[in-house]
Amino acid sequence: MSINQTFAHYSNLFIALSLVGYAVAFFAYCAEWAFGTNSRFGRTVEKVGRQDAKKAAATADATVVRQAKAPAVESINASDGGNGVTVLTRAVAEDEEPTISNGNLRAELFGRFAVLVSFIAFAFHFAGVLCRGLAAHRVPWANMYEFSCAAALAMSFAYLVLLVLRKRVRWMGLPVTAIVLLTLGIAYTVLYTDAEELVPALHSYWLYIHVTAAVISTGAFGVATVATILYLLKSANEEGALPRLSSTLDRIPSSVALDRTAYRVIAFIFPLWTFAIMAGAIWAEKAWGRYWGWDPKETWSFIVWVVYAAYLHARATHGWKGKAAAYVALAAFACVLFNYFGVNTLLTGKHSYAGL
Amino acid sequence: MSEQTAEQGTEAREAASAVPEDAVDEVAAAAPVEDAAEALAAERAEKLSTAPKADDSIAVPRLGGLGMLRWMWRQLTSMRIALVLLFLLSLAAIPGSILPQNSIDPTKVTSFFAAHKTWAPILNKVQLFDVFESYWFGAIYCLLFISLVGCIVPRTWAHFKAMRAAPPTAPRNLKRLPVHASFTTAADAEEILKLAAKRLKGRRFKAVRGTDKAGGWISAEKGYLREIGNLLFHLSLIGILIGVALGHFLGFKGAALVTEGSGFSDTPLGYASLTLGPEVSTQKLPDFSFTLNKFSASYQESGDQFAQPRTFDAYVTFKATQSSKPQNVDVQVNSPLTVNGTNVFLEGHGYAPVVEVKDGAGHVTYDGPTIFLGQDEFFDSSGAIKAPARTKGGTDLGFQGWFLPTAFVQSGQMPASVFPAAQNPMLILSAYSGDLNMNGGAEQSVYSLDTSKLKQLDVKSPTANADSGNALELKVGQTATLPNGLGSITFVGVKNWAQFNIAYDPGQKVVLPAAILAVLGLIGSLGIRRRRVWVRVSEQADGTRLVEVAGLARTEGATPTAEVTQTAQALAAAVRQPAPDGASA
Repeated sequence: MSINQTFAHYSNLFIALSLVGYAVAFFAYCAEWAFGTNSRFGRTVEKVGRQDAKKAAATADATVVRQAKAPAVESINASDGGNGVTVLTRAVAEDEEPTISNGNLRAELFGRFAVLVSFIAFAFHFAGVLCRGLAAHRVPWANMYEFSCAAALAMSFAYLVLLVLRKRVRWMGLPVTAIVLLTLGIAYTVLYTDAEELVPALHSYWLYIHVTAAVISTGAFGVATVATILYLLKSANEEGALPRLSSTLDRIPSSVALDRTAYRVIAFIFPLWTFAIMAGAIWAEKAWGRYWGWDPKETWSFIVWVVYAAYLHARATHGWKGKAAAYVALAAFACVLFNYFGVNTLLTGKHSYAGL
Repeated sequence: MSEQTAEQGTEAREAASAVPEDAVDEVAAAAPVEDAAEALAAERAEKLSTAPKADDSIAVPRLGGLGMLRWMWRQLTSMRIALVLLFLLSLAAIPGSILPQNSIDPTKVTSFFAAHKTWAPILNKVQLFDVFESYWFGAIYCLLFISLVGCIVPRTWAHFKAMRAAPPTAPRNLKRLPVHASFTTAADAEEILKLAAKRLKGRRFKAVRGTDKAGGWISAEKGYLREIGNLLFHLSLIGILIGVALGHFLGFKGAALVTEGSGFSDTPLGYASLTLGPEVSTQKLPDFSFTLNKFSASYQESGDQFAQPRTFDAYVTFKATQSSKPQNVDVQVNSPLTVNGTNVFLEGHGYAPVVEVKDGAGHVTYDGPTIFLGQDEFFDSSGAIKAPARTKGGTDLGFQGWFLPTAFVQSGQMPASVFPAAQNPMLILSAYSGDLNMNGGAEQSVYSLDTSKLKQLDVKSPTANADSGNALELKVGQTATLPNGLGSITFVGVKNWAQFNIAYDPGQKVVLPAAILAVLGLIGSLGIRRRRVWVRVSEQADGTRLVEVAGLARTEGATPTAEVTQTAQALAAAVRQPAPDGASA
């Protein structure tokens, strides 16, 4: 089937528009973070307070002062149990939930505007990917340009879904938008290739299964990495390091919550990544006559898998919990990036289609 | 049962490994003598003592042979060593993706040897060109699997016991658990407990009832499938390993290059390369044959994906056995031909120019297609044509050079192909005469000449492109006469050849189910939450009863807040005699 040039044209247009949208959202998130820092007055008060605290308790650890700000961990909730009975539920609160805007009205407005623009950019992004598929009459993730667009879409989607589910994840907005913007920008400028038909190796329904699983996994691993990096910053800050970032880091969730977010995303997506590799193996058997041949892409997918497996084990091992495990997760994502950019550009293997 | 949260659910493995590790730490801490005075005292003591000198440098407890083995086994099956092995495995795989590998592309290994004369033999010594078959890679995954078995078997037994055992007694003070819900009622304790048991069992909790001084209680646990999933996943990995080994021993794989119009029969001679498993003999090769009737390819003709392939079709007539009826099939990249469990895959293709070589007397010494190997995306293909003399001791003729499917000739430049399809085919050949050395002992490549006993002929024609060097330029139908009355060569036409990979891997029947079970196991192991819920009914001073429901996660982040609240609400709604509101909780 020939390429529908109209759709191909609109696809490019929509992707360009979504780039503009994400850029606007990015700056709006930046404004939210910036205006959300305590006012000059507030900062001064805090500074004075800290100095007083230092003076007052020269021997006291600074971290103790900071920890004192932690909110109560219990929530008590009375609910109607029917029959006129009141049920009292008392639970350990899972997370403290500060906000980026920090109660600043201007920051809050910028934050809401950023979310609105994120949705608009996502709509353009989705339309761009959809038109690409309609233009080529196939799934729109068959080369590096399309895969990058789709993985960025998956990441954007994951964030917006959490927002729609009324999870307090606006703290993710800035890093997620930054990564999406970067990915889409690289795709649009460096990796771009026209919508065309597929090389014979991709004429298979496994393209739908294997690559879709890989796209979603890559996007989700990206989200987990955002949480992991913030976790490392936040936990360092909670221990007294990075005092300059305190006013910023105070507004993201606690290190415990960030760590748990990262873990949950990885634990949720690790089986999918396993499935992606497995589906790839089945396809490889069908196309190349062997299910596993240590092709560079296979090798690096395996490495990614092993390092994330190490992360999951590390998290259940004394002495490895927390920061050590977080560094393992970062190493794993470095492998994901190399598996994508490095293997496709530096190493020759069977996973090279349409130039890149 | 204490009331910690996630930490409570620490893995059995960790608990098992903690024992020897602690022991080691103690020894390690005790061994080096920190204090100077102590050191002096120790020295003195050492002089007095006749005991053998302890080695302070290694923190290994001195346990004797059996104890040492046990210590090593515990270390190997500990989570820490498993982690280290996982890291080692990923690190060990990296060179396999960066350096050329014999198992993937031996020609690249050869050219690497040619380019790195000092380094290549050293790398070869440590098997870096055969990473995935190397002893050290094998050692890592063998240790990992031993560690896995050593961990999984005791865990399986422990979980089997845990599943048969009743959930633990309810804690006295349910208020100290991470989630706690309560209400008061005038209803009968027996009735409440019955309702609670029914509800929890209906939600597939494993529940037991008991009584103590404070009153009646129910203890319930759910999510045993998590550990089953975990065990299933790890056992499936062993299944995959077994399947891979089976495939290695019982399978075979080979490659065959077949030119249009010619055939392939499944005998060792038919293969360009053939790797048989140790348990497969050449007699066991399946008895099928096929002929390549036509190979066709299409390519992108415009745009920024110019020259990308779009379709490959190998039209083949095959016979499953010698006596069976021939059948026609179109073999494509993603649709292999399957004959009795053996698969025939279309792997690659190229061009085979058909030439006719005549000797000085006008006798045809060579006539037919010669396989040239494509070297780039436009199929600039290299190869050699060998025309041995008709009589022994006569003058052999040899040609080697390039086939260009779509030749683009421009003065001042080497002719080169500009498109992968055969739109303007051209042969550019150097000509040689003398002895092809084909009867020599060493095996010769069919794609190049052994020029040691050959003399290059001066075939440069005045009309030919000056930049081809001393070579013939032939288009289809053209004939070139060789100097000194040695004969002639005619470019008759072009045929396609296709490379078929032929593979039989019985291990797949084990690997695929094991892999599916592994994924299912993973989903269970990472997705199912293991948690406990307790219900306690206690008499209060005012004659009412206090009903408490509490929950505890046995896996991280699984605190059953909603479950506990809803259980309490449902119980409150279900009991028939509610107490007046505002009673003390």
